[in-house]
Amino acid sequence: MEVTFKVYRKDPEKDGKPGRSNYTIDIPEDATVLDGLLKIRDEIDSTLAFRASCLRGYCGDCLVRVSGRARLSCVAKVTAFTQKAPEISLDPLRIVPVIKDLVFDWDAFMWNKIRAVQPWLEPKEPASDGENLIPDAAMKDLRKVMSCYYCGMCDEGCTVLPVDFNFLGPAALTKAYRFAFDPRGKETRERLKILEEPKGIWDCVHCYEADEHCPRGIEPTKRIIALRDLAFKLGITNEKVARHHKSFAASVKESGWLDEGRLAIESEGLTNIKGLMKLLPIAARAMARGKAPIPYLHPKRPGADKIKKIFEKGEQETK
Amino acid sequence: MKYAFYPGCVSRGGCPELYPSAVKVSAKLDIELEELKDVGCTGAGVLPQYLSDPINARTFAKAEAMGLPIMTICSTCQGVMSQANYRLKADPEYRTKINKEYLSEEGLEYKGTTEVKHLLWVLFEDYGIERLKSLLRKPLKGLRVSPFYGCYIRRPPEAITPTKELNRRKNYLDELIEILGAELADISGKGKCCGFPILTANEENSLAMVGKHTGEAKEKGADFMVTPCPLCHLNLDGNQPRAEAQEGKEIGLPILHLPQFLGLALGFDPGEMNLKRHIVSTQPVESKVSMLT
Repeated sequence: MEVTFKVYRKDPEKDGKPGRSNYTIDIPEDATVLDGLLKIRDEIDSTLAFRASCLRGYCGDCLVRVSGRARLSCVAKVTAFTQKAPEISLDPLRIVPVIKDLVFDWDAFMWNKIRAVQPWLEPKEPASDGENLIPDAAMKDLRKVMSCYYCGMCDEGCTVLPVDFNFLGPAALTKAYRFAFDPRGKETRERLKILEEPKGIWDCVHCYEADEHCPRGIEPTKRIIALRDLAFKLGITNEKVARHHKSFAASVKESGWLDEGRLAIESEGLTNIKGLMKLLPIAARAMARGKAPIPYLHPKRPGADKIKKIFEKGEQETK
Repeated sequence: MKYAFYPGCVSRGGCPELYPSAVKVSAKLDIELEELKDVGCTGAGVLPQYLSDPINARTFAKAEAMGLPIMTICSTCQGVMSQANYRLKADPEYRTKINKEYLSEEGLEYKGTTEVKHLLWVLFEDYGIERLKSLLRKPLKGLRVSPFYGCYIRRPPEAITPTKELNRRKNYLDELIEILGAELADISGKGKCCGFPILTANEENSLAMVGKHTGEAKEKGADFMVTPCPLCHLNLDGNQPRAEAQEGKEIGLPILHLPQFLGLALGFDPGEMNLKRHIVSTQPVESKVSMLT
């Protein structure tokens, strides 16, 4: 079948301006996108740059956007994108610094962030026999996470990265989970402290896009939530987030439901004059519309005492 | 047709226009609501699971005892409850533990049969679109509407629905816009996050998301945006003036709650749907609606 590949081009050694080259090629019905790219490079245009390594969906190196959707080009079939017209477009990921054509800067995109979470084990105690052995069952959950092959699909799907490229992102935070929950590791609190800095776990919007994008079912969002729940349990170190969570929990514990006005004030901090001043125009706008929730005048829900008991029991159990 | 109604905190707190419009619209549609009053906040994804799962299990047990499915008007409540329900249904041992440790003292037990549905799903899956169409009094002809689903009514898929309806659920709001006679002003960010969950941790990113989604809808010529999630509404409407200031652009896009949108097409006037309570002026929408016959 004949298909036109419309490929993003950028060559820093020429003018560095982005453009597009169209290549019409004859490929078999079952061809993958990578088959097409290899054919173009081998037979038509040897200057076309793209990444690929294992060619069988294992290494995660060949991530590109195929007609707008992030795909591993080695396993994506061309025909999945040609139903409407015999053409596909190929672009680098949405948010990455491009080096040349479809080759982008993996260090900036992911590896620098993975390095930042200290992706190594700090054992609690030195291994007695050179190996730090633990029962197989203790690694069951982590084995799933360790099957990550760093394809970057989760980061590509992330809602936060397009507005803030410095967010650590789901791939690095999932790597952090792998070590934070390793039963042999020490100082989880210290590890979490790094993750609680700005651009870390509290910047995640838990939108579950990462889970939907991950080709291996690793569920990065759930890993980030587990890190946050762990931080809640051990005491949150990010001050503003700590105030917010503490206030949220306190109003549900005391009244059964959320006192939104109180939450807004206490999240800023009762002694944070600048922060509280910032709330004034927001409150004024809401009051003009007759809708500002009045803080602290928050009636208890029926059954609030039962909710309080659940809190007390939960807090007791996790001590 | 009757549901155990879980309105959520925000529908009476930060978005007090939502609760009464949902109640009015449900009555018009003959959907009977028995409100769950003696129940707690879902945790909204802020409380850790070890606290929110027992609180939600208690809510499910109460609805189960009433023999009714739960209906929410908040995607976040629906999302957090669906995820808790998924864990409790999938793992009987976990359910037994929660029952024993947290619910038995009150004489409650959750057997794992309660269904959690958002009003949007109720319309398509229980109520029926033909029946809805027969009740439309003021199809919203000529109005361009952008859908904004937010996150938890679409993801994570296994918790939202383990059934084949998932892909259809992803488009209900698009479909509804056309069913109610309006034109779809589609936007690429309709299923992304509104930014509300990080308003405390990273306000700049949160407001950037508001600017991005509302700005895109405006560029697509939308008269307003509709959302099934009051937390999205809090950010997209309530913080739109701040997003405009941060991003240096004028937007002025009215954001309607799902029940308000339904209400207008069912013939309620904008006042009855409390449109005046919004931060971004809904005047242009009201004028256009008043011209409809």
